[in-house]
Amino acid sequence: MSLPSPSRMRGVPFALVLTAGGGLVLATLPWLLSDFLLALALSCLMFAALAVSWSMFCGPTNYLSLATSAFFGLGAYVTAWGLESMPYGLTVLVGGLVGAAFAALIGLAVLHLRGAYFAVITFGLTELTLHSVTYLEKTYANTAGRIISEAPENTVIYWTVLAVTLLAIATAILVRASRLGFALSGIGGDEERAQTLGVNTRRVKVIAFSLSAFFPGALGAAMAVRWTYIEPLSVFNPFIGFQTVLIAMVGGAQTLLGPIVSSVFFSLLTEFLRLRFPYAFLIVLGLLLVVLVLYLPGGLASLFVRRGRQHA
Amino acid sequence: MGFWLELAASGLITGGIYAVVAIGLNLQYGLMRIMNISHGEFLMLGAYLTWLAHTTLKINPILLLPVVAIAMFLLGVVVYRLCFRRIARAAPTVEVIEARSLLVGFGLMFLVQNTVNLIWGADLRGYSFMAEPVDIGGARFMANRLLVFGFAVAASLGLLALLRWTMIGKAVRAMMQSPTGAQLVGVDTGTLHPVVFGAGLALAGVAGGLLSMVYEISPSMGEPYTVTALIVITLGGLGSAIGSLLGGFLLGLVEAFGMHFTNPSLKMVLSYGVLVAVLVARPKGLFAR
Amino acid sequence: MNRSTPIRGIAVALTAAAVLAPAMPASAQDIRIGYAIARSGPWAVGAQVTQEPNYVMWAEQVNAAGGLNVGGKKRKVELVAYDDRSNMETVVRTYEKLMTSDKVDLILPPWGTGANFAIMPLAAKHGYPMLSCTAAGRKLIGMKNPYFFALLQQPDVIMDALAEYMVARKVKTAAVIHVDELFGLEMYTGLEASMKRKGIQIVEKKSYPLGIKDLSPVLKGMQAKKPDAFIGLTYPPGTFLSTGQSKAIGFSPKIFYLAVATAFPVYRDKMTPATVEGVMGIGSWNPKTGAEAKAYFDAHVKRWKKEPDRWASAHCWAGLQILQAAVEKVGLDRKKIRDYIAGTEHATIIGKMRFKGSENVSTPGVVSQWQNGEFEVVWPPQRATSAALFPKPDWK
Repeated sequence: MSLPSPSRMRGVPFALVLTAGGGLVLATLPWLLSDFLLALALSCLMFAALAVSWSMFCGPTNYLSLATSAFFGLGAYVTAWGLESMPYGLTVLVGGLVGAAFAALIGLAVLHLRGAYFAVITFGLTELTLHSVTYLEKTYANTAGRIISEAPENTVIYWTVLAVTLLAIATAILVRASRLGFALSGIGGDEERAQTLGVNTRRVKVIAFSLSAFFPGALGAAMAVRWTYIEPLSVFNPFIGFQTVLIAMVGGAQTLLGPIVSSVFFSLLTEFLRLRFPYAFLIVLGLLLVVLVLYLPGGLASLFVRRGRQHA
Repeated sequence: MGFWLELAASGLITGGIYAVVAIGLNLQYGLMRIMNISHGEFLMLGAYLTWLAHTTLKINPILLLPVVAIAMFLLGVVVYRLCFRRIARAAPTVEVIEARSLLVGFGLMFLVQNTVNLIWGADLRGYSFMAEPVDIGGARFMANRLLVFGFAVAASLGLLALLRWTMIGKAVRAMMQSPTGAQLVGVDTGTLHPVVFGAGLALAGVAGGLLSMVYEISPSMGEPYTVTALIVITLGGLGSAIGSLLGGFLLGLVEAFGMHFTNPSLKMVLSYGVLVAVLVARPKGLFAR
Repeated sequence: MNRSTPIRGIAVALTAAAVLAPAMPASAQDIRIGYAIARSGPWAVGAQVTQEPNYVMWAEQVNAAGGLNVGGKKRKVELVAYDDRSNMETVVRTYEKLMTSDKVDLILPPWGTGANFAIMPLAAKHGYPMLSCTAAGRKLIGMKNPYFFALLQQPDVIMDALAEYMVARKVKTAAVIHVDELFGLEMYTGLEASMKRKGIQIVEKKSYPLGIKDLSPVLKGMQAKKPDAFIGLTYPPGTFLSTGQSKAIGFSPKIFYLAVATAFPVYRDKMTPATVEGVMGIGSWNPKTGAEAKAYFDAHVKRWKKEPDRWASAHCWAGLQILQAAVEKVGLDRKKIRDYIAGTEHATIIGKMRFKGSENVSTPGVVSQWQNGEFEVVWPPQRATSAALFPKPDWK
């Protein structure tokens, strides 16, 4: 990553300390919460990390990537294939690296597409990955899914996902303050202009896209152990990607706090509605979503950003 | 009919089904940039309306299609007024319209899918209609699939003619190129927008009605069809009526021949492979101008 | 103003939630039985045909009779049920809630092989027996989980029965398609072994992925080889598709066999009874199987205004019967319930049932066939409710 310019560095140490402090507090949750509430916290963390990493690239550049599920699924398969020969922590790291490498590869091929075409091709690539994995597994291993028999404790999974989430947030803070982040905003504003100003836009985009894909890859690897049986349809589920986009955009993808708040908000709200209204909760959720988008176009972030200004 | 011809015919008929699924979304997305991700859900609603009326009232489902179209058109106008008008007016750029309509589409997807689920349950449903083989030059095809194919071709050509040669078509195309410009020359976008959106929903409903004759239906059937529709219209080039018909055909043919030369297990890999290859080579679809 | 609206929306929802909240358990004496199952999303199709209607009807019947007899005292059943949204993580999280927060007395399993796999470690950890009626596969049995019991016949057992039937009819050749899913692969492995043993030749084999929309070229290729039997190890979409398209091209071999959803009443209704006449598939039972089965069938039709499917529904009901018997015998000690399930021969609507490890070793593989709108059991002979139509009549 290029050296950050001093003016953009203002506030970064504070934000990082805040993140670390928040992380310390969250790390104590396994002693405070029941199994179920811890699982709920795990979901919040997972979506926070997914949404923050998605916004890292897609927020400033206005790209709409639906490839999150591809990275997540590849990460999960790293665990499925590798957990017998590697420790859990290493599979998470490798899962992240595989996600990043795959993103760099497809980034080189498709980042020149724009708008809806980019959204559709990233979705197409996700499905292509899903069906390729299915086909390879069937042809060469005569199986449709993999069993994970030795899963780590829930608390270990929780701390791992927490670590990935904190890392994602810290990375997002640093990227925003760095020249990389500046270049990304330039690309989002006017790509040709950024080019004439000497930014190698292709390189910048590929680096940032790849960096942002590390986190879904690592999360896939970290979460997979919870499901015992790993099959392509469940870990490459396009809804993981859809939900990420939805959470990030409702929160406000240009902001850092928006996606985090939104992921907690949505995870808890969905769970509350699901447990309270076992039949109609998705109707309520759908209505809420429509109302939110129509009447809060700036995302959840606009709520506290404006309030912040009033206080200042 | 020779073997290859028969294989091609089989691919084209399946392609016709893909094209039918895409027509409605192509209108909404291609012409208005409304990324209606709940397209498949409205298609499913059309399928349920047809199924319900046919099984309870015993009416010929073909006669029901215009009724479904009108009902879905009206629903479309209402949905537009409630959800999309605000977005189209308030959004500063086309990208913002796309992004926000996508989110609203998600909301509608949950809403419609689960309303149908709540009313009719999650069970598979279906009825038999025109499930008779038809002999064409020695090859046999299911009559209801041929019906869908015929509708795909007729509707796409009709839409093409409508957009190219009528006043409404000119107004729509003007609106697509420049909304403000269109308003300046006297196009009433306030009326045109809901009409185009409603027409998109009506076509989705009819497509659903047609599919309910061929395939079994369930509340969760919509999402794969939304995906199919998105693929077909991006293959063809957004907003191009003939492009989306040919996009559907291409997909059907690639699958038929691809499966013949490799094996059926590769079907999904083949169809997504074509999508990716086409878009990498031609970033705005096959028939983009 | 713009910003207050969504918040007001949430507030309204919260208030509504508080107002509409279900009444708390009427009495601490109720037996609380928890489960998560798909009411929305793609799994709901199977879950709402085969599983949840049975859970609900069973609880209603038990309560109508005054409850379960625990240690001489009648106690009512309260179902604690959630929607799992067809999502694996939600399944796991909900069962964690049921077992550790709600502390329900017993659980009922979720729908599908994947979801059952996912909660097996929890069941063992917290000691909850699970009688699963929609999970099939040797891989599940191979987990050697002491709390897991699979009620369905295993794929190889089902395929053995089909092979025996084919030998009895002197069938020599078969063409096979299978879906690229765990179920399809295990079924095919089983079939290949059985066919080899019985000397039946597989003249062609193709596999296909879920989401296929056209099988006619594949079917035409098989038709050209004139096999005696067509065996489709399919999931519901493939079952409907290959029936319709085989009819279209006039592919009507002596045996026409399809797997999942052949036993669903909607299969007959969508394709018409005339069309499916003679089609074979996986089944286990029908109302003619016995008086108890008939009573179950009638109760289901009366309660839900729809027929139960002729395969897994009855296994699901059998699981509930076993659970009920276990509770009335040994009380609510889950370890004792597990031991009772593992060590007893149970009487169920589909006959005697005994487990060896996780496997139901009593219910044989069954071949059923649509005849005049009923899915008749035609093999093995001791379970048959009708003689088989052989060869299959031409498509109508």
